[in-house]
Amino acid sequence: MMFGRRALATTTACALLGGAVLWWGSDGFTAFTAESARRRAVLAEPRPLPAVALEDQDGRPLAFADYAGRRLAVEFIYTRCDTVCYSLGAAFRQIGERLPGGDPALLSISFDPAHDDPARLREYGERFGADGQRWRIARPRSGDDLAALLAAFGVVVIADEIGGFEHNAAIHLIGGDGRLRQISDLDAVDAFVAGLADDA
Amino acid sequence: MTAPPLRNRRLWLAVAAVFALLALPPARAWLEATMTRHMLVQMPLLVGLGFALGHRLPARLRNRLLARAGGPLACLTAASFAATYWMLPRALDAAAASAAADAAKFVTLPLLIGLPTGLAWRALGVIGRGFVWTNLVSMLLFAGWLYIAAPVRVCNSYLLDDQAQAGWWMIRIAAFIFAAWFAALFAGRRRGMMAMRGRRPAAPPRRAGLLPAAMPPFRMQ
Amino acid sequence: MATPPPPERGAHAGVVAYLATSAGVLLLMMVFGLLMRAEQARFVSLGAQWFYQLMTLHGAGMVGIAGIAGAAIMWHFLNQYVALSVRILYANLALFVAGVGLVLGAVLVGGFHGGWTFLYPLPSHSLGLWSDGAAAAFLAGMLVIGTGFLLLQLDVARAIVAGYGSFARALGWPQLFGRDDGRAPPPTVVASAMVTVVNLIALVVGASILAMMLVNLYFPEFRIDPMLAKAMIYFFGHVFINATIYMAVIAVYEILPRYTRRPWKANRVFLASWNCSTLMVMFIFPHHLLMDFAFPKWMLVMGHIIGYLNTVPILVVTGYGALTLVYRSGIAWDTGSRLLFLSMFGWAAGAMPAFIDGTIRVNYVMHNTLWVPGHFHTYLLLGMVAMAFGFMYYIAKPSAKTADGLADRAAFWAYVAGSLGFALAFLYAGKESVARRYAEHLPEWVPYDRIGTAFAVLIVAAALVFAVRFLARLAHARGDQARAGAPQGAAA
Repeated sequence: MMFGRRALATTTACALLGGAVLWWGSDGFTAFTAESARRRAVLAEPRPLPAVALEDQDGRPLAFADYAGRRLAVEFIYTRCDTVCYSLGAAFRQIGERLPGGDPALLSISFDPAHDDPARLREYGERFGADGQRWRIARPRSGDDLAALLAAFGVVVIADEIGGFEHNAAIHLIGGDGRLRQISDLDAVDAFVAGLADDA
Repeated sequence: MTAPPLRNRRLWLAVAAVFALLALPPARAWLEATMTRHMLVQMPLLVGLGFALGHRLPARLRNRLLARAGGPLACLTAASFAATYWMLPRALDAAAASAAADAAKFVTLPLLIGLPTGLAWRALGVIGRGFVWTNLVSMLLFAGWLYIAAPVRVCNSYLLDDQAQAGWWMIRIAAFIFAAWFAALFAGRRRGMMAMRGRRPAAPPRRAGLLPAAMPPFRMQ
Repeated sequence: MATPPPPERGAHAGVVAYLATSAGVLLLMMVFGLLMRAEQARFVSLGAQWFYQLMTLHGAGMVGIAGIAGAAIMWHFLNQYVALSVRILYANLALFVAGVGLVLGAVLVGGFHGGWTFLYPLPSHSLGLWSDGAAAAFLAGMLVIGTGFLLLQLDVARAIVAGYGSFARALGWPQLFGRDDGRAPPPTVVASAMVTVVNLIALVVGASILAMMLVNLYFPEFRIDPMLAKAMIYFFGHVFINATIYMAVIAVYEILPRYTRRPWKANRVFLASWNCSTLMVMFIFPHHLLMDFAFPKWMLVMGHIIGYLNTVPILVVTGYGALTLVYRSGIAWDTGSRLLFLSMFGWAAGAMPAFIDGTIRVNYVMHNTLWVPGHFHTYLLLGMVAMAFGFMYYIAKPSAKTADGLADRAAFWAYVAGSLGFALAFLYAGKESVARRYAEHLPEWVPYDRIGTAFAVLIVAAALVFAVRFLARLAHARGDQARAGAPQGAAA
């Protein structure tokens, strides 16, 4: 392996270019997974949301625009879920208890609208103590709405081997301006609540 | 050392055919449906296609390209950075989720990892190749552990079980490569990976090896 | 009768660089060891933190330098049978120096003192005594050193396959399993092949656990099974340190025959012993884990049995070979040949305490006492290091007729007495249940420490003479002069 000037130049160039691509591809060596990238991107630049048509557990129509001027915490669920959605439900319940008074509003959205009709949504809400006002359970009205919603939030839903789904579960915070501005771990409720209190 | 042109043409046809096959939407969908197939079948195959191309180019063309590229070290550097990029879980997720990213993967895996490695392979020498193999083994063991030990999904597109399964496969593959490489050391250079350099018959062992230890042949430096 | 002394090849400049590095680092590490003993003996008071920093450096430095010295011996002799790469020889030394720099920085600047075995999860749980950066620098330093040795072993593998066709032939399988046609590879090649096989495996395992621990340091959510980590670390460490003596023993195979003018042939028994050890040395590490009741039982039983078995083959075959070689040969004793002959005794004597400690019942009470340092100091000081110094004496000897001075003779006997006394002080303290790795000792332990310290002074003084003698004669190391004195009876 002779090592001439050309070799030195191209090797250095490859290393520099490669390093730059890695830097770019990992947001400066901070986000190695799609999940951390999504969270960073939202923090850096709050994201506008599509105007999708939802309906809640009582069959009432619902849109993000209804929450203009209010902060809204959003989680994605499906009612048959008996794993991570329990943590999600519990997290929302804690947020509701720690921050009484209706701010932020809480919204659980099902990504399994074919199965989760309003009756099932209501049953889900009752299971976790949702009041149906501050905390509502909703589903998108159409498949297109669902796709647009998931794409905007960066939520990926995949079927698991036992008839359910795996999804990147998190707590999504939408600001009063209607933009998605923060995504938190569902087991970091304390930090989430503290952040909300500081922000208010 | 120039391979016969007919052989080459057949090889290129085969490479093109496998590439086309892999790029077919049903094949893509099936291979990318699980992490194990995506990472450990489809992606290595794509790299292998590029490798085969680079490795089997006519010797003169290959050497000229290699010299242009700046020699084996530059090629390996490029390949290792490209490989590192595609090992980011984020990149894998992107390839599974977006057609554009997947297209980039189909282009860069053969061209930026396989081809440079194939070009450099002979010039690397036995030590260089041994270094690549041992590094590959440690990296697979390491990444395998990482995927098994990760408490959360590293890819949004794949199930946690799938991730652990991919990790175990990486460890199995690492063990297999290491065993095969080692067996090649024991079997000698007529076969095996240490011997990938060419089809020349093995030279007889140096006579020095046949002399008693007490009187090694005297050799000026 | 009157055979003229055969000329002997001088060392390559790279080998000389290895040896000079070894002599320097060895002395420094011996001084660190002396300071540790003096601290336990309450002759000095450095404090616990310094004790553990020195202990970490002493362990890492000694293992590393044993590897470097062993590699120098192997390279020097193996290069006379196969064509090794000089560039790789230097690359390994450069990586070694870089790694040592990282380790020194981690310990002296970063205050890392988690022991050279970097046992998981200690490096990442310092309770604020050292930073993650210091632990990372230490682990990275070990990784860099390991990479260098990996390159060297790969080159040895390449050269052996190029010269002998395969490892099977280099290990003498055709002669071992077929008809012994007397054309087995020389002992140097057999030993180098064995070392390469075990070291390649050990280094890959070592690199994997080091990389895992580096990730764990910064991303603690990636947990490592502590049992797996311990097994991997001890597999790597145990094989590597064992390999150093299997490299260094090549000096005995090559040099004693030159002194006695009797060839050392690789016969079937010799080949069988080295092939057995190739396998066994990879399975004995669990004898460090006999106290870990959570380890799978079969591993412990395996460690127990193979630990017993592995004591025997190479040691007995080599010791017996050395005795028959020297017996009635009229060998001209000088410091070099004496040290090499001593190493046979040291190796055998050092293995005995390990043999005893390898018994599970004994191990429960003995393993965490000074008995174990007693074991490995015996076989390293009187075995491995004696081989290294013996080789240094041999290679730098100006001519076959050079006679030893009084200083050399005195240093040799001081080294023998010092090492024996030093090791026995450890062993006796171990028998009295003195815990190992304690910076501060109970008052009733201190007398043993004081005796040990006194003997350690003797060792350092002797090693200083050896090292100064080698460095003073450095210019002769590269020449192709005859070195071995003619045996009596063979008219010179």
